[in-house]
Amino acid sequence: MRINTTRFGRIDVDSVDVLTFPSGLPGLEDCREWALLADSSNDALGWLQSTTRGDIALAVVSPRRFVPQYQVRIPRSELTPLAISDIREAQVVVVVGQNGKTLTLNLKAPIVINLEARTGRQVVASGELSMQYELLTERPALKKSA
Amino acid sequence: MLVLSRQRDESIMIGDNIVVTIVDIRGDKVRLGINAPFEIPVHRQEVYEAIQRENLRASRLEPSDTQGINAIAGRSQANASKTGPTGQNGGQSSGPISG
Repeated sequence: MRINTTRFGRIDVDSVDVLTFPSGLPGLEDCREWALLADSSNDALGWLQSTTRGDIALAVVSPRRFVPQYQVRIPRSELTPLAISDIREAQVVVVVGQNGKTLTLNLKAPIVINLEARTGRQVVASGELSMQYELLTERPALKKSA
Repeated sequence: MLVLSRQRDESIMIGDNIVVTIVDIRGDKVRLGINAPFEIPVHRQEVYEAIQRENLRASRLEPSDTQGINAIAGRSQANASKTGPTGQNGGQSSGPISG
């Protein structure tokens, strides 16, 4: 399957690698099919690219790489539509956002993927979690203006 | 919008298999019980709307915005190992995301 994307140009994706999100995503309910792409310069990052909307893609990361203590508690009712009985069967990624110049992670609404069935869903995790968990970087050195 | 009046312990049926019950009424707060099939998630509206807004905001990110993220990952892992075992998953997946 060929997708004309605004970020990555024209890409070819094997139909068998496409993930189906039966409910789309909140705010992107019409986007039901997605491809998970690697980022060529950041191995910690992936891109969930809509196969039907070339301009729609979400940066995603494995949350434990950035928040080692992150333990997601997802109610069974959120997992059942994915035919997952145990969260350990699933791959969990979180969406990267931006607050001003700071990158953030949506820890409250992770995306759960059933790799075997090639399905996915964004769920609401239990507990007090941030939708904009700030990833702190060092203060950048002052740059001279060009 | 369909507006119905209900008293405590009374219920409303939505479709064939969703039941909303007034569990308690106290002052200006109503406690609702919701019986719905597993495949239908139920959330406070403001939570769903907040997720919608956050997804739309995130969907505007470009690769240039995420350039520095590898450096952050490295630092997070280094900090984690200083404080003790982190319960990292064993084995690397062949996909782009691991751990």
